[in-house]
Amino acid sequence: MKRLFPTPIFYLLMVLAIVGGCSKKEDAKEGDRKGAVQTIVFKHFKPPGEPRFFLDLIERFERENPNIKVKDEILPASTDEQHQYYVINLEGRAKEFDVFALDVIWVQEFIRAGWLLDLTPYIGAQGLRGMLPGPVSAVTFKGKIYAIPWFMDAGLLYYRRDLLKKYNLTPPQTFAELINITRTVLQAERDPGLLGFIFQGKQYEGLICSIMEFIWGNGGDVISADGQVVIDSQEAGDALAFVRDLIYKHKLVPELVTTADEEITRHIFGAGRAVFMRNWPYAWNLFQRADSPVKGKVGITLMPHFQGKESAATLGGWQLGINPYSRNVDAAVTFVKFMTRYDSQRHLALTMGLKPTLVKLYQDPDLVASQPFITELLPVMLRARPRPVTPFYMMISQILQAEFSAVISGIRPPNKALASARKQIERILELERP
Amino acid sequence: MAGLGVIARERRAAFLFTAPAIFCMAVVAFYPILWALYLSLHRRLPIFGISKFIGLRNYIFLAQDTRFWNAFFNTLYFTLVSVALEFILGLAIALVLHQAFRGRGWVRAAVLIPWAIPTVVSARMWEWIYNSDFGVLNYLLVSASIISTKLNWLGDSALAMHAAIMVDVWKTTPFVALLLLAGLQFIPQDLYRAAQVDGAGPLTSFRHITLPMLKPAILVVLLFRTLDAFRIFDAVYILTGGGPANTTETLSIYSYKLLFQTLQFGYGSAVAVVTFVSVMVISFFYIRVLAGVREG
Repeated sequence: MKRLFPTPIFYLLMVLAIVGGCSKKEDAKEGDRKGAVQTIVFKHFKPPGEPRFFLDLIERFERENPNIKVKDEILPASTDEQHQYYVINLEGRAKEFDVFALDVIWVQEFIRAGWLLDLTPYIGAQGLRGMLPGPVSAVTFKGKIYAIPWFMDAGLLYYRRDLLKKYNLTPPQTFAELINITRTVLQAERDPGLLGFIFQGKQYEGLICSIMEFIWGNGGDVISADGQVVIDSQEAGDALAFVRDLIYKHKLVPELVTTADEEITRHIFGAGRAVFMRNWPYAWNLFQRADSPVKGKVGITLMPHFQGKESAATLGGWQLGINPYSRNVDAAVTFVKFMTRYDSQRHLALTMGLKPTLVKLYQDPDLVASQPFITELLPVMLRARPRPVTPFYMMISQILQAEFSAVISGIRPPNKALASARKQIERILELERP
Repeated sequence: MAGLGVIARERRAAFLFTAPAIFCMAVVAFYPILWALYLSLHRRLPIFGISKFIGLRNYIFLAQDTRFWNAFFNTLYFTLVSVALEFILGLAIALVLHQAFRGRGWVRAAVLIPWAIPTVVSARMWEWIYNSDFGVLNYLLVSASIISTKLNWLGDSALAMHAAIMVDVWKTTPFVALLLLAGLQFIPQDLYRAAQVDGAGPLTSFRHITLPMLKPAILVVLLFRTLDAFRIFDAVYILTGGGPANTTETLSIYSYKLLFQTLQFGYGSAVAVVTFVSVMVISFFYIRVLAGVREG
């Protein structure tokens, strides 16, 4: 935190502002009633890159709202630890923080637990108009809005533009095309160090993100729209069998994916050692650095789909929610609205590369000029689907991680693994019944 | 009569002197243990606002939970193999370091390096070493023609647990060696000289002098290592996350996932309590043996 210098001066200015300016302020009513500056505490993870860009945004808010002061507090980098922190504190009805950042997969769980303030009265039922559909469905429950999407992520297919061009190939739209292109390039290149297609297959949350794109791409799902567990459907089984065959039969996916996370795959692809990679948008900027071996050689597209079906991307990203035990709800709402509005999302995108949730920003002239890649990203973001939107997601994830891992490691056949997953998920859903 | 009064006073003083220690123990150790026991008798899911007493139902479910038994046997296997290897290697290293040679001080310090590196850092390091495609381990083994195809160390269900054991052995053997070395230094040199005079060879004196004299140190080492290994979490969690398909999931990883990722406080506590009881049983066993050694 490089705030050592401005802080004392800031306090001094604040005091002067309160003492001297109270009567002249435009929202004098508010100021008189509270009689002082309201401080809200904002809990979040460490923002990527220079901390200054983030603090600029908070200072801009404080200039706009002289009667609100924001104390931002950073949690440990691990998502699990952040989840743990919020659970322990909200379970204990902590009032120590007002606004907090939530991973997309926690939102329904926190809504069910009563740990998120219903924002509908403050922003209106149409409050999320103009935002991408994926994040909106993730923060909505029975027509009410409990958090505001802040920035988002979606799974993409990265490909080697130079290699595809060399053999007159166009990026794949179906998985059959993905197989053909990979095979053609690998056979023609005759480079034993070049791998085909890589994705995240270690037993962790990232495995679910990768595998869901195959299952959705074949028309399958975990839980159907009417609440039935459908993970053992023919579509899901075929999709998983296809993933297993990519590794062990076609040998176009190296076995190393069964232990790989985002960074391992990003390093391999970034060293020019793979034709295709599934990953999140963050990798793009790293590939464009001056010292990157793949600079200017990378393209992105939607994940492929199976014949006659549609592509899907797994939704990731962060939302801002308000602690229901907060004593400064009005100030917190003002802050959340500020942080998620057009110019703030634009600032985060320009300075930190965070991808906006507002559709219009993908056509923002300045943003397109500095990151042309953002226009290619919009079709992917539009297709981003949240992982099962249920308060039980964290438990379901534990089951799916183990069963998906069993399939891609060749330990259990897909139908057996998925049948077992179905049984376990149904047992969890029974918890909801009295 | 006056004598009894003195004893009573001394008792009271003794109690006062130990009270702060007992109080600390009660707050930091007994209270959490009792609380975990209490939780384990409940179905408690804060997210769903469920909190009710269900008696021993968590333990009955646990007895039939295949994932629990998988984790239990993984932990047992991990503990037995890693502690055995650490002990054999640690003893060998301690015997070498006990000899006088030039630069012994430096070697003793160098041996401790793996122990000094934080586990999270060394586990990340090993994750890269084990990488099947560009990890240095496969590179060395293939170059030396020991294996012909690269092995998927952390992804193959037959290899992953052994890879995790290797990391633990690499990390904690120095600790074992250090404790055993301290034990070796307590053995009077006269015994060896006497044995030499009697015509005993190095093997005989090792069997009849070194091992018996070292027994207390050995038991302390085994106790520490077994307890630590049985609670293994960090190294395995970072290397594999319990995968592939839970084949490296240990009891600590399972209870972490239950308690902190899926927030099943009741059932998670039941698993934690069983882990705790297992550890207690192991400690009692060692302490009994240790007491036998002291008396005998």
